[in-house]
Amino acid sequence: MAPQVSTGRIQQQVAAIASGFLGDWLEHRGNGLAAPMSVFAGDTELQVEKPEPEVPGRTLCLSIHGLMELESVWDFPSRPGYHYGSYLAEQLGDASALKLRFNTGRPIYRNGQELAALLESLVSNWPVPVQRLILIGHSMGGLLIRSACHYGLVNGHSWVTRNPDCVYIGSPHDGSWLAVGAHRAAGWLNRRSRDYLRVIGEVIDLRSEGIRNLSRGDVLEPGVEPQPLLPEARHYVISGLLLRGQQHPVNLLFGDALVQQASAEGAGQSGWQLAGCANFPGVDHIRLAHHTSVCQQLEDWLV
Amino acid sequence: MNKGNGDMHWWLGLVDLLAHGVQHSAVKLQRVHLSVAEESFRILETVPVTRPGARVVRVWHHGISRLSYGSVAMAGAAVTRITDGYLRERDDRNVNKS
Repeated sequence: MAPQVSTGRIQQQVAAIASGFLGDWLEHRGNGLAAPMSVFAGDTELQVEKPEPEVPGRTLCLSIHGLMELESVWDFPSRPGYHYGSYLAEQLGDASALKLRFNTGRPIYRNGQELAALLESLVSNWPVPVQRLILIGHSMGGLLIRSACHYGLVNGHSWVTRNPDCVYIGSPHDGSWLAVGAHRAAGWLNRRSRDYLRVIGEVIDLRSEGIRNLSRGDVLEPGVEPQPLLPEARHYVISGLLLRGQQHPVNLLFGDALVQQASAEGAGQSGWQLAGCANFPGVDHIRLAHHTSVCQQLEDWLV
Repeated sequence: MNKGNGDMHWWLGLVDLLAHGVQHSAVKLQRVHLSVAEESFRILETVPVTRPGARVVRVWHHGISRLSYGSVAMAGAAVTRITDGYLRERDDRNVNKS
């Protein structure tokens, strides 16, 4: 029997896609499709000022989705509610698996600022003292973690001092080839004399700030110098490849379909000290968010 | 926010987005349509036999196209005015509440 999809789920998916494309504009208009940042424990949304999870653990494991995605991207197919966070929480014991939902069309630095503040509030209001923090980000979610770490450090947040584990899964630290392509195509089309070509360029230019940030992996406010990784944290990188052959031209060109391996590993960033780095040939961008091999790797690193 | 309110806000948001989409798509489609047609008319106007007819057809074609696309864009704009009013009212209410 095909799994039933509720109207609420469809509404959330439509809102996630619309937010990804035009999230900054939707937010500016006060449009109901702009998803506000919220934290979930299972299917229950938590109030960060007074979180009341069913079983509060001393370790928080927060999973952060990517562009145009919902927190459901983490769920293993045919096993709703089972994801990396829930598995790690099970293995670690005394841990709570949380998921974040946010408007992916906003500039990454604004989501990063909000996430840093949300973590501060969540950690300080958590029913039991938080001893460990694990942040897992898929695609744009990974960039959001880097941004939040920076703003957490700048604002003197206490969660930063808890030596968080930051896992970046298929995150375009040096940009995504698709976002770069859209940027270049729009620029080229906008310089044409034919009006019908300029219109296509203008339509591409409608894309949100969040998507624009993905062309270079921008995680900070414009004008701020690139910052090193948070020294207090341990950083892990996971990348995927479309095909099994590591050196296959398709892999070299497209990586996991959206993010090339070098970008996912932050090859263009200077001074990165990674606690772990793993590549999974044959696992594409979306499957990276719910794959047994990746889950096993996370267990090896974090448990 | 209760579920009913959230649902209403979602539908209002969708209508707002679609109305904006209709309005701006009509304007952009008009530009594409006219600029593509312009290429054909330019060729027809270089041929002496078709030149007089092409000029007349061009004026009518462009006029009718502008009227059609303009009407659709105006309908979209009218809906966005209404949704804009609701969204502002909702914003004001939220500001007053907080």
